[in-house]
Formats: sequence, structure tokens, C-alpha cells
Amino acid sequence: MATAKDFVARINRVDGVAGCLLIKDDGVLLGQTLEDPEVYSTLMLISGGQADDIMHKIGFSYCRHLSFSRLNNRHFYVFPINNYLLGIVQRSDCYIPDMLDAVYRLIGRVSTKRTDVDVSNDEFS
Amino acid sequence: MMHLIDELKVIPGVVGACIFDTREGLRVTNLPVIFKPERLSVVGKHLAKLYAAGRMSFSDLTDLTLTYDESVIIARELEKNTLIFAICDPSFNHNLLSMSFNLLQEEFKSGGFSSAEAASPMEDQPSPTQQQEPVKPPETVNKSVSPELKQLMEEMKSALAKILGPMAEFVFDEVAEEWVEDGADFSRMESLIGQLEQEIGDEKKAEEYKQLIAPFLKNY
Repeated sequence: MATAKDFVARINRVDGVAGCLLIKDDGVLLGQTLEDPEVYSTLMLISGGQADDIMHKIGFSYCRHLSFSRLNNRHFYVFPINNYLLGIVQRSDCYIPDMLDAVYRLIGRVSTKRTDVDVSNDEFS
Repeated sequence: MMHLIDELKVIPGVVGACIFDTREGLRVTNLPVIFKPERLSVVGKHLAKLYAAGRMSFSDLTDLTLTYDESVIIARELEKNTLIFAICDPSFNHNLLSMSFNLLQEEFKSGGFSSAEAASPMEDQPSPTQQQEPVKPPETVNKSVSPELKQLMEEMKSALAKILGPMAEFVFDEVAEEWVEDGADFSRMESLIGQLEQEIGDEKKAEEYKQLIAPFLKNY
């Protein structure tokens, strides 16, 4: 069974990913490859909640991800995965569509939503 | 101001856009009527909070993008307190929209929209305030917060964290800043609490918050 650390390590190997972290929706850090995860984890929690609120208010069905674009091109992405949030810092020279495709594929293996692969939340054990 | 966002609508995949002011609400929109202005105002509020939170982590933040199954929302701060956001089909051209945002931002900064045009929310419709209230002479407003009041506000902020979690600090600071601008006086405390209740957005939780802060208010 894949652990949170395995998942984070796998995401970190995706071409274009400079670093990542995985937190539970209560803020508990499960794994990270970034030096200062606390900078990102609070923002991820806020992002998840706000994206959900917007989704319900406007009538959309599912939030795939959020991104914070930066002048230095090290954009920050937040992917809601069931009761977890995955944060990714992008390398400034990466080709974004390829990186996102690879990340979505990996998320599809562990998420019970928006995927054909049915794996429980306990996958991150 | 409408012509600014009408130019965006020409971009393939862009459904429409809005300009939102954190103090005045929705200023202008060209989104289809299915997107009701009241809902867009709430969305604008959420986006403004999200953008501010992002700015706290990344000082070089440019755009905020929320990718949903059906649509993508992109937001950019035009100037302090003013946000533009566009709702697009998933197939839209991000680079083209981003470039248009850049041009629009320049035009907004240099075009003097903050005075004449921007003064009337939703284009030419005068707001109820403009219609009913005569212009008041400037009043002296007490903007300095006494140490006792500061202490009370800190206690209220801590109590809000029990209701809203990590978002509380940001929400409280934003609301309190505006409240202080209008006069940091305990006699106006009801107005601050009312604003916070609106931000909480849940009657039950708002009641819970009032119970939490009641002892602090009593002891003040």
C-alpha cells in the first residue's frame, strides 16, 4: 500500500516539479520535499476552503486545482484530493501541460473522486 | 469601465468578466445573466480573500487561477482593493488572457477609472446610497485604537479562530481595518460584530461566536 511519503516522493519525481507537500484537510503535514512547508500549508488550507465556497456559490461540480502564478514563474499549485491537499511548486522552466498531466495521472491512482481507480482515503496510511 | 471587460470577451473561451471592489462590491460585469450579480459579489469576496492570502505567501503573485470541471476562473488585482476576474471555458488560451490582463491593468492604472467611471457601481446605475443620502461634511473620525480596545479586539480575533480556523486572522484584520477607518469607538462595536457575522456567513456559527465574545464585551 502506498504511503503518503511514497506518494510525495513519486510526485516530486515528475518532470517540472521543484517540490511538493501533502497535508490533511485539518492541516496535519503528511509528507514534504520543500524546505519551508509551513509557508505553503496555511495557504493550502485557506485555498481549499475558498475554492469549495466558490464552487458551491456558482454551481460548479469539482475543483481540479488552484494555481498561484508568480513573476518568477515558480507557480504554486494546490490539488484537492478527497480529504487531502497536495501542494506543488513548479520549476520555472517546466512545460506546464505535461507536468499537470503527469500529476493528474498520479492523483487518479489514489483519489476516490474523478477517477476510475477506486482506492480508499486510507491509501495515505 | 464596461469596454475594458468587453475586450476580454472577444478572446475565444472567455465567457465574461467582472470588476470587483472589496469595499463597494461588484462594479461591472458582462457575464451572462445566469451568473447573478449577488452571487458574483460573493465570489468576488472569496477571490479577494484568496488573492490576499496568496499575496501574503508570494509577494510577486500575479494571477490566481481556479480550475473547475466546467470552467476556469482567473483573477488579477488591478489595484489595491480592486480585482478583475474572468470565467472561461476549460479550453481558453491562458497566455492570451494573461496578456490582455496586463494591458487592461495598465489601462486601468493610467485611465483614471478610479474617479469618474468607477464611482458608479454597475455602470450607470446610481447606488441607493447616492440616491438617498446628501453629501455630508467631513467629520473628525477617531482612528486610534486604545490599548483596552486593542486587547478586546485581540480576544475577539482569537474567538473567531475557533469558528473560522486559519482564515480567522485574515478575515478579522480585514474587517477590523475598515471598522477602525470609520472610527475606533466601542460605541460602534455592534457594527464590527455585524460585519464579522456576515463574514462567518452561518447563523448558527455567528451565534456561537457572539456567545464566545460576550464575556470579553462584558468585561470591557
